[in-house]
This record gives sequence, structure tokens and C-alpha cells, in this order.
Amino acid sequence: MRSEPALPLSIETAGLVKRYGSVVALDRVDLAVPRAAIGLLGPNGAGKSTLLKILLGLSRPNGGSARVLGRDAVTDGRELRMRVGYMPETDTLPDNATAADFVSHMAEMSGLPHRAARQRAADVLYQVGLDEERYRLVKGFSTGMKQRVKLAQAIVHDPELVFLDEPTNGLDPLGREEMLDLIGRINRQLGILVVLSSHILDDVEQVCDYVVVLDGGQVVASQPLHVPDDDTADLHVRVDGDPGPFLKNLEGLGLIARPAGIEFTSDEFVIANDGERTLDAIRDAAAMTGSPLRLLRPAKRSLEDLYIDSVGAGANGARDKRRTSKR
Amino acid sequence: MSAASSQYGEIFDRGYDHYDGPRLGQAHAIWALARYSMARSLGMRRPWTAKIIPMLLYGAVAIPVLISIGIRAFFPAFEFLAYPEFFGAIFLLVGIFVALIAPEMMSSDRHDRLLPLYFSRPIGRGSYVVAKLLATGLLTLSMSLLPAVVLWLGNGLLAQEPLPALRSSLPDLGRIVVAGTAIAFYLGAIGLAIASFTGRKSVAVGVIILGFVLSESLSIAILEAFRDQPDLARWSVVISPSRTIATLVGQLFGEPDLGGDLPFNAALGVMAAVITICCAVMFAWYQRRD
Repeated sequence: MRSEPALPLSIETAGLVKRYGSVVALDRVDLAVPRAAIGLLGPNGAGKSTLLKILLGLSRPNGGSARVLGRDAVTDGRELRMRVGYMPETDTLPDNATAADFVSHMAEMSGLPHRAARQRAADVLYQVGLDEERYRLVKGFSTGMKQRVKLAQAIVHDPELVFLDEPTNGLDPLGREEMLDLIGRINRQLGILVVLSSHILDDVEQVCDYVVVLDGGQVVASQPLHVPDDDTADLHVRVDGDPGPFLKNLEGLGLIARPAGIEFTSDEFVIANDGERTLDAIRDAAAMTGSPLRLLRPAKRSLEDLYIDSVGAGANGARDKRRTSKR
Repeated sequence: MSAASSQYGEIFDRGYDHYDGPRLGQAHAIWALARYSMARSLGMRRPWTAKIIPMLLYGAVAIPVLISIGIRAFFPAFEFLAYPEFFGAIFLLVGIFVALIAPEMMSSDRHDRLLPLYFSRPIGRGSYVVAKLLATGLLTLSMSLLPAVVLWLGNGLLAQEPLPALRSSLPDLGRIVVAGTAIAFYLGAIGLAIASFTGRKSVAVGVIILGFVLSESLSIAILEAFRDQPDLARWSVVISPSRTIATLVGQLFGEPDLGGDLPFNAALGVMAAVITICCAVMFAWYQRRD
């Protein structure tokens, strides 16, 4: 596990409320997120973009407070925005500018002197893989190249934390992999904290250490993504052949097995772990029925499980969604 | 960036370095935005097609000034272009120039959805408007003030005794600065305020030009309607930017026939009020948050 709860918090909110007329976009959001690569997950309309806007000081909350890197997002907005970067979801680049000019201009807007801004723009565009193309007009760029320019302008002023709103939008599978790899490098090699807002589970799982799940404007989960193995975690079991006799025998030993996940065709079963007694019972049942034991491991909650459990009914067909999300 | 030398050359490690240089404040950000906006409005670092119209307009303003100075060089007694006539002649060109650059300043940022990017930087919303006003004001000054100053310098330097001539015409320079600055910020503020409401440049250009034309017609119609009430009719000039400017220039250079018969202070007050209202509208508009 890479996240350290003891480190200072990157995002802190208390009773955060945002309304648009009668629609409540954020409903008493309480968060205490450590310094990590943070995934902000939720279905469309869950309040992710609204939360990002408030954290950046682009939108004022109707109630509650929000702090980023220890600074109040409303009252210390200017100071905060010197230390963070933002890559918006929408296409936000001037067509008739070169990548070098635009990124350099955005560096100057963050307070860098002209010469330093030009130098940083060249370095950062090299880092995102646009070294050769930096003097070309943006209007001739592919979607992937435009996303890279957006990423470059978000990190050109060397922020401590960068907000990335749906950074893989519109990218083909290869472009998406490259973008996620780039974001991972920004976090791990360059040491920039990342807040990745996405509705694609795989994106978050690939890059992030910590996940915040929003649904209907409320936080439904906020926890590290990779939890250590737990001795009391449920056990996943799979046997070769017909599992019927094995399961019946287990039942006789007082253990109830349920199918893993929501796919009832799965040949994997989950058994509540009651310590040593459970492991002995599984061994005995397999031996008595002659069922070869192919898998026996503690259950790890995947991001998918967490999402399904957290978002609940709103995530009907989440697996299907995940499949369609895998591009 | 480090370099390793060898007999074959150098290999540079272009690894990412954290930035530990100075971070400048609001004034730097405002100037950076103003400079970038001015360059883009003039078509710099853009395809040549974006440079044509600004250059043509600069040429159109410069030619009469150069002709006037040329005539002065050969026929010292002949004054081809007096200052009030100059300001009257360039109003249309400055109006077109503003109609061209104001949408480039404001509408382009909306069209390209750059506002969230700008406002996620330390620059505030108010500072953004200040930067745009500064950029528009400076560019418009280069049309309304600079050629007039060149004309003044030419007239002075071509006189038989240049230094006394320049010294004696210093009041004219003061009037030129007042007129040029007032025209630049008056027309600039109107153009920016209109352009700030749309992301479509062509719409903004059309509305600005149409606004100048219609305001002129409306002003004349009101003047005619209240002809029997001269005290009311004289205020009709405030509706039309061109007639307001003509009135200001006429009163400033002692040629009241050029515009209406409003006093100089009233014309200047009207222009200041319009600039204030336009700025207030823009500040309020850009302070809007989700």
C-alpha cells in the first residue's frame, strides 16, 4: 500500500453543499483524503465535476468548507491555484496557437517569468511526448495530442497537485494506455499528487492508490484502493468438475458458499471465514468428495466490488458498464 | 538537465526538474495575458491571413498622416490635415479596428473554452477583465493616439524652427493625448463589453458595427424629434459614439461646429460614464460563478 494515512491531507471537506436551483449537486460531503493518487469515481451526474470546481475555487459552495493541501478553497483560492494544476474534461485549446506558445503562456499565467516559461514549456512538452510537434498549430493535432497539450499546461508550473477531469475521454485504446501511463509517471516519478476524476473503473484502478466514490452528490466510499490481506477476509474457492457434491458436503459441515460476484454462472464461490475451522472444513469437504481444489485464497475487494457495493442500485449492470468501458 | 561528454558528442538527460525559480504576482499575470491577447489580436504567431486586416487598418491610418507630413515638407504654409479633422477621419477606422480586436480578445476565449483554464490559475476574474481592457486600450491607442503624435512631431520638426515650434504646440499635444486616450478607452470598453457576451466572433463584430451605425441613426432621429426643445436635443449626441467623440474633439480643439454643442466636460463625463458602465457590466458578468 502506497498511501500513508499519517501524511497531511490533500483534500478535506466538511458538510460541503452545492445546489443548482432545486437540484442538490453535492449533499453534505465530508472527506479526509490523504496525499495519494486519488480516484474520483461515480456515475454521470454524481457530482464529480462540481466537487472539482469547488476544490479549484471555480465554484462557490452553498455550505460547508473545502480545503486542498491545507488551504481553504474559497478564501485562499489564489494562493491555492498557484500550487495546483487543472486539466479540464472539455476541449479547451486555442486552435490557432502552437503548443509551445500556449503552454508557455499558461506558465506565465501561473507567475513564471517569460524565459522560464518558454523553457518549462519545452521541457514539459518533451515529457508528454510532444517534443517534435510543439511548434505546430494545435488545430492540426489528433485528440490524443490535444489531451497531452492539456496535460502539459496543467503541470508546466510544477504544481503539487493536479486535477485531471476525464483525461482519457475520446482516446483510442492505445492512446488511453499511453495517457494512463503518463499520468502514472507524473505521480510516481515527478512526485505530483493526482486527482483523477473518471467514470471508468479501469482508469482509476490502474493509476490510483485511493478512491472516493460519489453517487447522487454524496460520498458513498472513501478509502485506499489496495487494502492489505486480511486473515478474516472471506475465502474464494474453486474446485474442478461439478461443485455440487462439494458444496453439499460443506453445507453439512455448517458452511454456506455463495457464488462470487454477480455472475451466477461463475465457478468461483465465496465462503465466510471463521478462522482455522473454515479452512479445515474446506479441506475435508474436498477430500471427502474427491473434488480437486483449484483455488483457495482470501477474497480481495476489487474496485468493481467496491463500486457495486457503494453505488448499489445505481450501478445496475456495473459489470456490463465496465466491459463497455474497457476500450 | 545534465550532459555527459564523450569523444562522440554529448548525451543530454532531459529528465523532469522541479521549478524552484521565482513566481511573480498578479501584475505579471495581467501583463502576460494582455501581451498574449494583443499579439493574437494582431495575428502574431498566427497564419498570415490573421494579419491582413489589422495591417490594412494601420496602413489606412498611417497614409493620411504620412501624406500630410510630406505635403508639409514641400509646402510649409499648407496644412493638409488639422488635428480635429484627423480625429474625425480616423473615427471610422478606429471603430472597425475595435470591432475586429474586441471579439478576438473576449469571444475567442469563450469560444475556445479557455475561461476555466484561466480561472484555475492565480489570476482573478477581475484581473482577467483588467488585462483585456489594458490590451484593448493599448492597441486602440496605437490607432487613435500614435499617428496623431507622429503628425504633431512631423508638423513641429518640419517647421522653420523646430524646437520653438514643438514647444509652442505643446498644448496641442496635450489635447491630442486627451482625445486619443478618451477615444481608445471609450470605443474599446464598448467593444469589449459587447464581445464579452458571445463566443462567436462574427456575431460580436456584427453587433459592434451595427451598434455604432444604429446609435448614429437613433441620435439623429432624437435630435430631429426634439428640434423645438434645444436643451433636450443637444443631449442626443450621447447616444452616438461618433457624435460624442466629434463633440469632445470639437470642444477640445475649439471647433464646436464639428459635433454637438455639449460642453467639453459633459462630453468627457459621458464617455467616462460609458466606460465605467461597460467595465461594471464586464466585471459583474465575469464574476458569475456556477
